[in-house]
Amino acid sequence: MKDFRIEREARGNVNVVRLSGSLDMYSFPKLEAQLNSLFHQAQYRIILDCRDLDYIGSAGLGALIGFAKQAHEHDGDVKLLNVPERIFKIIELLGFTKILQVHPTEESALAAFGAR
Amino acid sequence: MDTEVTKVGDKGIWVCRSLDRLFIRLVGRGTFQNSRALRGYVQDLLSQGVREIFVDLRGCQGMDSTFLGVLAGIALKLRQNKSGAIHVVNVGPRNFELLQTLGLDRLLEVSSDLPAAWFSKPVPPDHAFQLLPESDIELLTRPLDKDETADLMLEAHENLQRADGRNVQKFRDLTKMLRDGVEQRKARTKDAS
Repeated sequence: MKDFRIEREARGNVNVVRLSGSLDMYSFPKLEAQLNSLFHQAQYRIILDCRDLDYIGSAGLGALIGFAKQAHEHDGDVKLLNVPERIFKIIELLGFTKILQVHPTEESALAAFGAR
Repeated sequence: MDTEVTKVGDKGIWVCRSLDRLFIRLVGRGTFQNSRALRGYVQDLLSQGVREIFVDLRGCQGMDSTFLGVLAGIALKLRQNKSGAIHVVNVGPRNFELLQTLGLDRLLEVSSDLPAAWFSKPVPPDHAFQLLPESDIELLTRPLDKDETADLMLEAHENLQRADGRNVQKFRDLTKMLRDGVEQRKARTKDAS
């Protein structure tokens, strides 16, 4: 089981947060702290790059919904990028794609913010 | 007492009933993908008189909130009937922190090793354990059913909210989303009939 890691890059007024490892209840507070920090800076346009994410738990998914809703209230969003198929199946199965937009490329995710 | 995992490397939920006791060994991850198998199995055994459950986490690589919510639901039921308990044994620091975070250390009997209760009656040998069907999440033979999974996750997280008031806020968005989905499904079913 790989350790959970977060790296953040700014792309104009959008923050791309790259995740790797396992996002479970143990590691989620790290992501929660990162997202809360961005929200406190009024940065509500966020892309979570999940390319190197090997696991996400149900609590993590639920919390992401909460963050996406908060972002929506401030004309922002939390979008997912490069979601591994096994994780996408879970998100789709639970109907969470209604709240969490999933994009295949960074360009399409950035373009979706541009269109808002 | 040697508690080596029955077959090292074989992931899943291993179970063995011994009189009114049930022994469960979680090898690998306990998630919403194998929680349903566990819930159904334990419910059957509770109706057959099992009152004491030991969950051995020695081979556990992690548990998600749905799995923990299922355990919480079983513990709440046993507590409500004042008829038994769940002992979670061989709990490492990481899993202990998880249980504490959700307040389950106050609902479950948690131990970092094997408690006295474990030795109070004969303990089944390793070869008596059986792998619960559909409990190795890497080898599931049938796709998860959307409605069943949503129902299970909702129930599990409501259990966590009942178990500790701090979990109400923590899982508010998730339970609302799942509950809305259940309501929409009910409305669709009603419309169709």
